[in-house]
Amino acid sequence: MTGRHYVGNREPRIDGRDKVSGAAHFVDDLEFGPDLLHAAVVESPHAHARIVAIDTAAAAAMPGVIAVVTGADFPFTFGLYMKDRYVFAQDRVRFVGEQVAAVVARDPAKAKRAAAAIKVTYDKLPAVLDVERAMADDADLIHPDLGEYPHVPWFFPRGGTNVAHWRKIRKGDPEAGFAEADVVLEDTYTVPRYAHCAIEPHVVVAKQDHAGRLTVWAASQSPYIQRDLFADALSPLGLTHHDIRVITPYVGGGFGGKAGVTMEIIGAALATAVKGHPVKLRWTREQEFYNTYQRQGVVARLKVGAKADGTITALEHVLQWDAGAYVEYGANVVNAAGLSATGPYRIPNVGIDSVCVYTNLPPGGPYRGFGYSEFHFGLESHMTRLAQQLGIDPVEFRRINAIAEGDTLPYGAAMNASGLREAIDRTAAAIDWGTDEESFDPRTRIGKGFALFWKAPAMPPNASSAAFLKFNEDGSINITVSGMEIGQGYLTVMAQIAAEVLGVPPSKIRVETPDTDRNPYEWQTVASHITWSCGNAVLAAAGEARDRIFEVVRRARGYDPSTLYLEDEKVKCTDVPELQLPLSDLVTSGLAMEDGTWRGGPIVGSGTYMPEFTSALSNPETGQGGHPNVHYTTGAAGIVLEVDLETGRMKVRKVALAVDAGTAINPTMVEGQITGGVLQGLATVLYEDMRFDDEGRLCNPNFTDYKIPTSLDTPDVVIPIIIEVPQPDGPFGARGVGEHTMIPAAPMVANAVADATGLRVTSMPITAEKVALAKLEAST
Amino acid sequence: MTIAHEFDYVRPATLDAALACLATDGSRVLAGGTDVVPWLRDDLIEPELLVDIKAIADLAQISVTDGRLILGALVTFSDLIESDVVRDAAPVLVEMAHQVASVGIRNRGTIVGNLCAAVPSLDAGPVLMVYDATVEVARTDGVRSVPLVEWFVGPKETQLAAGEMVTGVTLYLPAVEHAAVFLKLARYSGEDLAQANLAILLTAEHECRLAFGAVAPVPFRAADIEAVLSGNALTDAAIADARTLVAESISPISDVRASAEYRTHMCAVMVERGLRAVASRLAGDGPAYPTHLI
Amino acid sequence: MRTVTRHQIRTIVNGEPTSVEVEANDVLLDMLRTALGVKSPKIGCERGDCGSCTVLLDGRTVRSCLVLAVEADAHEITTVEGIEHDGLTAVQEMMIEQSSFQCGFCAPGIVLAAAELIERAPRPTADEVREAIAGNLCRCTGYESIVDAVLAATGSGTSATTSATSSGASS
Repeated sequence: MTGRHYVGNREPRIDGRDKVSGAAHFVDDLEFGPDLLHAAVVESPHAHARIVAIDTAAAAAMPGVIAVVTGADFPFTFGLYMKDRYVFAQDRVRFVGEQVAAVVARDPAKAKRAAAAIKVTYDKLPAVLDVERAMADDADLIHPDLGEYPHVPWFFPRGGTNVAHWRKIRKGDPEAGFAEADVVLEDTYTVPRYAHCAIEPHVVVAKQDHAGRLTVWAASQSPYIQRDLFADALSPLGLTHHDIRVITPYVGGGFGGKAGVTMEIIGAALATAVKGHPVKLRWTREQEFYNTYQRQGVVARLKVGAKADGTITALEHVLQWDAGAYVEYGANVVNAAGLSATGPYRIPNVGIDSVCVYTNLPPGGPYRGFGYSEFHFGLESHMTRLAQQLGIDPVEFRRINAIAEGDTLPYGAAMNASGLREAIDRTAAAIDWGTDEESFDPRTRIGKGFALFWKAPAMPPNASSAAFLKFNEDGSINITVSGMEIGQGYLTVMAQIAAEVLGVPPSKIRVETPDTDRNPYEWQTVASHITWSCGNAVLAAAGEARDRIFEVVRRARGYDPSTLYLEDEKVKCTDVPELQLPLSDLVTSGLAMEDGTWRGGPIVGSGTYMPEFTSALSNPETGQGGHPNVHYTTGAAGIVLEVDLETGRMKVRKVALAVDAGTAINPTMVEGQITGGVLQGLATVLYEDMRFDDEGRLCNPNFTDYKIPTSLDTPDVVIPIIIEVPQPDGPFGARGVGEHTMIPAAPMVANAVADATGLRVTSMPITAEKVALAKLEAST
Repeated sequence: MTIAHEFDYVRPATLDAALACLATDGSRVLAGGTDVVPWLRDDLIEPELLVDIKAIADLAQISVTDGRLILGALVTFSDLIESDVVRDAAPVLVEMAHQVASVGIRNRGTIVGNLCAAVPSLDAGPVLMVYDATVEVARTDGVRSVPLVEWFVGPKETQLAAGEMVTGVTLYLPAVEHAAVFLKLARYSGEDLAQANLAILLTAEHECRLAFGAVAPVPFRAADIEAVLSGNALTDAAIADARTLVAESISPISDVRASAEYRTHMCAVMVERGLRAVASRLAGDGPAYPTHLI
Repeated sequence: MRTVTRHQIRTIVNGEPTSVEVEANDVLLDMLRTALGVKSPKIGCERGDCGSCTVLLDGRTVRSCLVLAVEADAHEITTVEGIEHDGLTAVQEMMIEQSSFQCGFCAPGIVLAAAELIERAPRPTADEVREAIAGNLCRCTGYESIVDAVLAATGSGTSATTSATSSGASS
């Protein structure tokens, strides 16, 4: 961009050297000395059962065992948006794998053997394994006390049922809208559960020292929320935020799975049982699959009507979510999806019902896309089909109905500025939409698919960020924040923002990973919001430091601050070109006066950001009246897919994805999110296939049989397209993109498969097997 | 990573010393470890003694003598890929090896280990079967040679008896001109276990050998299909006949990797594509080795 | 149950002769991380599926979670710390310059897989690079930024990925 020195540049990641050299440390790499104890967890083999008795005598007597605990030792609840979850199961277990007891021992082998020696007696209860059963009138209740759970004011649980939350949108008059339509299309789309598969498993080390202070090292996206939930859950032990410290180094991938609190609460609790010793709990890959958050499954019924000219007149979307055994986080996924399940379209008459249903399966929770990845499969498949029924080109149909700035959102507020139209046009051009491609191989067909996407950050109305900034003697800068570097390049982008304001190159700026004792508050690293939110905090902190620098120069040298600027690590003056004052001359020492006194001192800055215009309050029956989402990021994606008609094998020849980043502070980072997000999205539709048996046990909790892509499974060509329609309240105009890039993958593949083969598949995943067998059935 | 079970370990320098160790109860061979170590971690095996054979140099041989290609027990999948001898004598082994796991596994995993683990989807099985391979077994009091078609008794079960060790496997190279092909159906292009695999060998004298894997309790030669394909030049009609025989020749299960229906459908497709590829290879204008044909 | 015999093994780790006492059921990955404090090989799956535990054993990549510590006796182990003799390698420098990695958890294993390939094929093709790292799972990057850096560092050009970016503002 004109006049910018660092923002907009492809600055190399400031943590690149750490990661490539092997210097980067993750939680499991930290050393705690010979006193480190190891924990192993006893898990429920049943999806739903009463706990009758737990016999720990044999385990407690084994050599090297320091402590054995059960739910009786920690009868505490916790939860981010609703308190329905326990440190250890209490009277009953609600999913296969739920933690029932734990052992702390001198080494992992002793812990593992002792855990195996704990005998738990269960009384099996009927397992509720699908949404339909869970919603039946005579369904067994998974949470009989649901009506008493504390929760955020924008949830509407139905006590006495398995419905934990029901988000409704009623806008306009859908019945009239459908009457007006020339074509009405109805269908149901099924999306199963998915696993995050960050390569680093969850791990926690916790220590309560003899002064009572609890320190937790966690591979987490949310150190401050972790502290908050630990304080809440463990408050019966006398602990408050003041007593708890959470430290998070580099994190090996999150994708939402390391947000909130899951297994870390076990580590924190165990530490209080072995005061003075650090205790480590590391999840195996199997536990990573079945006892962390999973992406929820959803059955979505869509009814959309449109006029012959292509204008959509009405949409009804009923989403029933398989949210799992505990929904303290997952219920907000249901909520977020419910608010936006129209997709990025201008639709005057809307009815949405997004229902969060308890099941005896692992807890659902945040996963890149936060409900939007889940519902776009059906929605964008449906829009293409509707267009085709109208005889209108599917991309043109989207142009006609694409939401624009000022249009009314499903919940009544106004849509922000976005480059959605440009995204559509440039994506269509990138895949040569409108031209059919012939395959050279007589056994295959080439199809093209298109999808739009949008998403807004799903956050409480007071989610906030803060930043501290200080200079060092050499003019370099340290910034402390509590956002997490989970790979997205956040540390680098924060450095670039500060660099732009202070005229110091990013290579001389360190951005420190979180420590709740030292780094100021960040709500969580989720929602694709910290470039925007924490970026604003860093912008403010850098601005404050700059103002202080100018003030020192004014007081010591008499310059008018409005004539001063920072460039190349110096203070300069528009009126006086000779002024080239190195920052290192003043940022800690101040400036000397002729009389031997000094002015100034260490230059520091602080900044915070919290949106003050967003509210989650709205009419419970209609969803109208609030402003729950700060803004939307929009985009479009297209795919060229070659399908072997006999084998069903699909090859992605080309993917183009355009996303409106507002301002791409670092285009390389944005492209990284596009390439990585596209592949993760493609994996959910082409390969990943979670299988539960009829007892609720996950059959494939490993990479052998839950396939995530290798370097051999990438598209031939990925075309990242960065659109820049600035976000007015974003730092230098930026808004988030991290989740959005995986959202359109599934529907665009479904649309391309339909284009190539004539087969419309309305359930995920769309594997080679599914396509081959569908083709066989279609030809008989 | 925790192996809770406790055991002892030896690394003998000679075959005789290894066999002496294996004569004791509760001992088992450790070669590449890519199966044994996960089994130990999951408590699937509980040996008293692991006998590491990797110091026995003779077991690493790859050689051709009198039309026999001999692969010692320590030959890894990477060794196959890097061997000029193998590339010249039986390039389909290279084609198979490239589709096994990934480089870091291939650098350790051995063909013989693959045969001894005997999972129904093993990739080495069908390829070695179309070479009429024999498994060379040794014990302290002698040796025996077991035809590979008799080696597999059931899933993860072989003819290997207590105290015995496989020292190598012998492939019998056809004297006449021939070509071969290996196809592996997997869920994607990356590392995966076979949903179905298939090897075909075709000679210039119209002998056709065809072996399936992952679609029955053990890999096997499909005699009925071989019968319609042997004796005459390959024609479209013969290929169509072969396809119709596939469903009754195999007995696949439905599991987390694939349904029986998909396996059955795909085996017919693989038979056709494999036959066309191997015929064109024999004619001199087929896809170069190694190729992923499916 | 037999008593485990302790074994005193002699190995060379990153060029340094090292003697370690291990039990037969110790796994090489744990020996490196816990006994020797070498943290770059990671615990990702403990089944040999993810590649984040990759080390070089006598110059060849192996999954250290599938190797017993005793097997390393009389052999040489190299991790990413050990290939950085005179600073980082050309491939590593290019990976830094091009911001190839994101979370970085898979990076040590991939750097070693690439190093093994380049030792045998100094100017690999894109396909060869992809096959070499196919056993290293990366969930963040989509792999192209990694392949591109290896190709650029070895003077082999770029992969098939092209990019079109815009800095124009319009709506």
